[in-house]
Amino acid sequence: MAAQTLAEAAVNEGNYAVAFPFFGAERRGAPVLAFTRIDSKKIFSKTQVYNPDCVVVLDDSLLDTIDVVSGLKPEGIAVINSKERPEDIDLGKIINTATVNAISIALEILKAPITNTAILGAFAKATGVVKIESLEESIKRKFGEKLGEKTGERNALAARTAYEKTIIGKSRGIKKLEARKQWLPTYQEMPVGGSLIEGKTDAGLIGPGSFIENKVSGWATYRPLRDREKCVMCLLCWFYCPEGTIHRISNRGDLMTNYDYCKGCGVCANECPVDAIKMVRARV
Amino acid sequence: MKKVITGDHAVAIGAKLCRVEVVPAYPITPQTLIIEHIADFVNDGELDAKFLTMESEHSVMSAAAAASAAGARVFTATSSQGLAFMHEMLYATAPLRLPIVMPDASRTLGGPPGIWCEYNDSMGARDSGWLQLYVEDNQEALDMVIQSFRIAEDKRVLLPVMPCLDGFVLTHTVEPVDVPQQEEIDSFLPPYEPDIILDTARPAMIGTFMPPEYIMEMRRQTAGAVESSKEVIQEINSKFAKKFGRDYGGLIDTYRMDDAEIALITMGTVTSTSREVVDELRQKGEKVGLIKLRFFRPFPSRELKKAVSKLSALGVFDRSISYHGGGQVYNEVRSALFGMTIPVINHLAGLGGRDVTKEQIMKMFELTRKAAKGEKVNEINWHDTRGETV
Amino acid sequence: MITIKELPDENLFTAGHTACPGCGVAMSIRNAIRVLGKDTAVYVPASCGVVFGTTFPYGAWKVPFFHTAFENTGACLTGMQAAFEKKGKKVTVVGFAGDGGTYDIGLQSMSGAAERNDDVLYICLDNEAYMNTGIQRSGGTPFGAWTTTTPVGKHIQGNRRFKKNLGDIVVAHEIPYYATLSIGQPLDFIRKVEKAKNIRGFRFLHMFTPCIPGWKMDPARTVEVTKRAVESGMWTLYEVENGEKRITYKPGKMKSVKDYLMMQGRFRHMSDEDINALQMWVCKKWNLHYKEKGSPDICEIAPPEEHHAVTEEHREMHGP
Ligand SMILES: Cc1ncc(C[n+]2csc(CCOP(=O)(O)OP(=O)(O)O)c2C)c(N)n1
Ligand code: SF4
Ligand code: SF4
Ligand code: SF4
Ligand SMILES: [Mg+2]
Repeated sequence: MAAQTLAEAAVNEGNYAVAFPFFGAERRGAPVLAFTRIDSKKIFSKTQVYNPDCVVVLDDSLLDTIDVVSGLKPEGIAVINSKERPEDIDLGKIINTATVNAISIALEILKAPITNTAILGAFAKATGVVKIESLEESIKRKFGEKLGEKTGERNALAARTAYEKTIIGKSRGIKKLEARKQWLPTYQEMPVGGSLIEGKTDAGLIGPGSFIENKVSGWATYRPLRDREKCVMCLLCWFYCPEGTIHRISNRGDLMTNYDYCKGCGVCANECPVDAIKMVRARV
Repeated sequence: MKKVITGDHAVAIGAKLCRVEVVPAYPITPQTLIIEHIADFVNDGELDAKFLTMESEHSVMSAAAAASAAGARVFTATSSQGLAFMHEMLYATAPLRLPIVMPDASRTLGGPPGIWCEYNDSMGARDSGWLQLYVEDNQEALDMVIQSFRIAEDKRVLLPVMPCLDGFVLTHTVEPVDVPQQEEIDSFLPPYEPDIILDTARPAMIGTFMPPEYIMEMRRQTAGAVESSKEVIQEINSKFAKKFGRDYGGLIDTYRMDDAEIALITMGTVTSTSREVVDELRQKGEKVGLIKLRFFRPFPSRELKKAVSKLSALGVFDRSISYHGGGQVYNEVRSALFGMTIPVINHLAGLGGRDVTKEQIMKMFELTRKAAKGEKVNEINWHDTRGETV
Repeated sequence: MITIKELPDENLFTAGHTACPGCGVAMSIRNAIRVLGKDTAVYVPASCGVVFGTTFPYGAWKVPFFHTAFENTGACLTGMQAAFEKKGKKVTVVGFAGDGGTYDIGLQSMSGAAERNDDVLYICLDNEAYMNTGIQRSGGTPFGAWTTTTPVGKHIQGNRRFKKNLGDIVVAHEIPYYATLSIGQPLDFIRKVEKAKNIRGFRFLHMFTPCIPGWKMDPARTVEVTKRAVESGMWTLYEVENGEKRITYKPGKMKSVKDYLMMQGRFRHMSDEDINALQMWVCKKWNLHYKEKGSPDICEIAPPEEHHAVTEEHREMHGP
């Protein structure tokens, strides 16, 4: 929705814009990708964007696992939802960076951790590609239409607030991020019919059970903390966890949660009969 | 052993000789006799197979796919509306490399509804990855069910195969058929032993949802399998000829082409009738020949190019239309012969089951001859069609 | 009977799958396969489950997995089972289909397998809409519910038909076993899966599986919402074995359907009139099912004016 709103604002200023998501296989909560192209004349290119002028990151936990600026043009800018200042953010290279604490703005104004309108304000400030007024206008209309006028106005306010609070600077460039390896067989190496049994490649496991290669902790906003003293080992949390990431250990006398696969749904905490599980912010 | 039987019966016997293991079935004229015969074989204890009375053709091909993925040799048969109804599953089975054999009793695909012979049913499946062949008599129908399993299950191929036999003209017509002995077939066709199947001892995932990073390679792989089937088809044709004494020529067959000046490309039973027409014309001193297109998928471009290289004109018979001008065979042939200068004209006849007579075939040769002489002829000729003058 | 403690540790549906946090479908699949065990082969038709369970080259299933299309679960189970039987292998053949894949487009294929009494286990994961394509109405969508094809418009608000009675349709095939399940009743859930596993012939397990974005609800409350569904009579727990129906759990006192609706954004727009209509439908069902009248203070008077307040936050949380 943010990409579309931005495109609309740009068009209202007399530009041409296209916005499109990349449809991945993940359900809700997984990292997603969306692109926007803006130009003064009609855009014919229908391909994805590989070398953007600006990268917008809505969730700074992605910075730990993904090299978000790998394709960014040298003179480009990264806009990041973070409570840090640009100079405290390590993007693996020194590059123009703008930060804004969109989460806290969203929580304050919208009472929900939904950052896509706030971050647009930061984008406007960092790039100047669209005027904040045009953004406010298209947010009001787009969100207002569907969710009511009041919601539209609050979202516009979130964008404006973020606009004012955005800090522009340069990132640090210390850490080295390795791109996650992917198994990319040639057509001759492709298994016949695409049928797979359990296997191992340079890029890790494939085939039955290999989804354990997919660490999903990045999806979680909250994570469960279990109070061992309170726990009565009823195993309900173990039974209910949709991810199967709570394990029975020490001869089944105790439980252990592997946070690599916890999506922070909170079911375990909600179902614990003795309130032994508390959900806490996964990243503070 | 010689038997006087219908084409459907011959096909059913062929399947029985191949010791098929799972047969999901659904009736449709003119295929129905096939599954009725199989049901008899199973209930009489002559064939040890799971005969599944499905509730639709879509379910037939779904059950076939699942049984094949679980490692069984699977046979079924269909026609026309039934083939159309399972269209989605045709596209599912070929890239999964499931070597199902399914004869199609060629029948017009409505509308308007009809039950008689036309190839617009199977032509709609030509891009699914299934191999397709067209037979001219009941003997060939039986023999090709057997060869189809060997082609399908060859590790270089692993693709489903659809032998097509003309509705009524073969399916319901009796003629003498030499039925091979079971032992002969057992030594010709080894049991089906796939590498990866659905098996709890070694779990596999088959039919996985696939993102764009992999599908190009999958398509290339399937295309490669279709391509390598050409070699396998020729090889198995020779082996079969050696063992049973019947040589069908493989991808194409030719008749009196040695010094031919013009020729006709035909498929199915029209080939058979055309043989007599060629003989008659030859008797009159006309240098005419016949090319029987046996496999439409894979399309034998190279073989055709060679076969027509000395001709001064070529006529292409089509029993279905591609609604943009001409039939599907015509369009394929033209692109196969791209760069060659001989005139190629299209003869549409026998659509919806209208009988294709010797007179019509004579006319096809006559028009092709005119084209050879450089006289003006239509590119697309509708034979025996009211309002049309050919 | 297996208790929770006796369930095996091994995950036959591994972590790392890509279902939404709190997904009721994933939760039900995981526990069903836990009970069914290793000697199982599964077919999953087009649905959320096929996407979050396998994406080439990865997969969560550690048992044989097959997928081809959407409307053919019954037929694929039939074919797989026939092959296993022919080869002399003892395998529990199981399908995990959605409500769309069962109530609607797959009804014919399911009916064929049921009528032939093929020796397979058909599991319907009923999340009451086409979720994989982004929340469209199915025959399993309840009255009043918002979906993208039953939007809350100026003239028409939400789904206008009551949920199709799939249970009776399945049972009419005179199959050996049909049961309804809810993850909120773990012991009942485990027992029914185990029972279905050990019966021969066509068995049908109908699972009530909340969907977070589709129902517009808090992911933490997946289990809770199924309990409220049962307490209100929106979902009933029973089994039909060889034609004999048995209620396997009866709520103490009927709860108002509003308790259930309140938890979900998909119902938030419902007018008093619509809530009343839905409540009357539930009361009738309750009466037929439990052979007793629903609670008089719920079923004999119209519901009070003010119903589930929807806060602004709720609106923003769940978007359009
Ligand atoms: C023949 C066909 N029509 C439509 C689709 C698109 N489609 C894929 S999944 C799906 C919805 C599945 O809904 P349901 O069965 O309820 O499963 P859910 O995703 O809700 O778990 C649809 C409509 C398809 N794959 N095949
Ligand atoms: S929060 Fe959800 S995913 Fe994480 S352990 Fe608890 S139930 Fe499992
Ligand atoms: S639900 Fe609570 S009491 Fe039960 S095992 Fe989990 S933490 Fe312990
Ligand atoms: S959309 Fe619903 S059913 Fe699909 S994965 Fe998400 S929660 Fe589960
Ligand atoms: Mg559904």
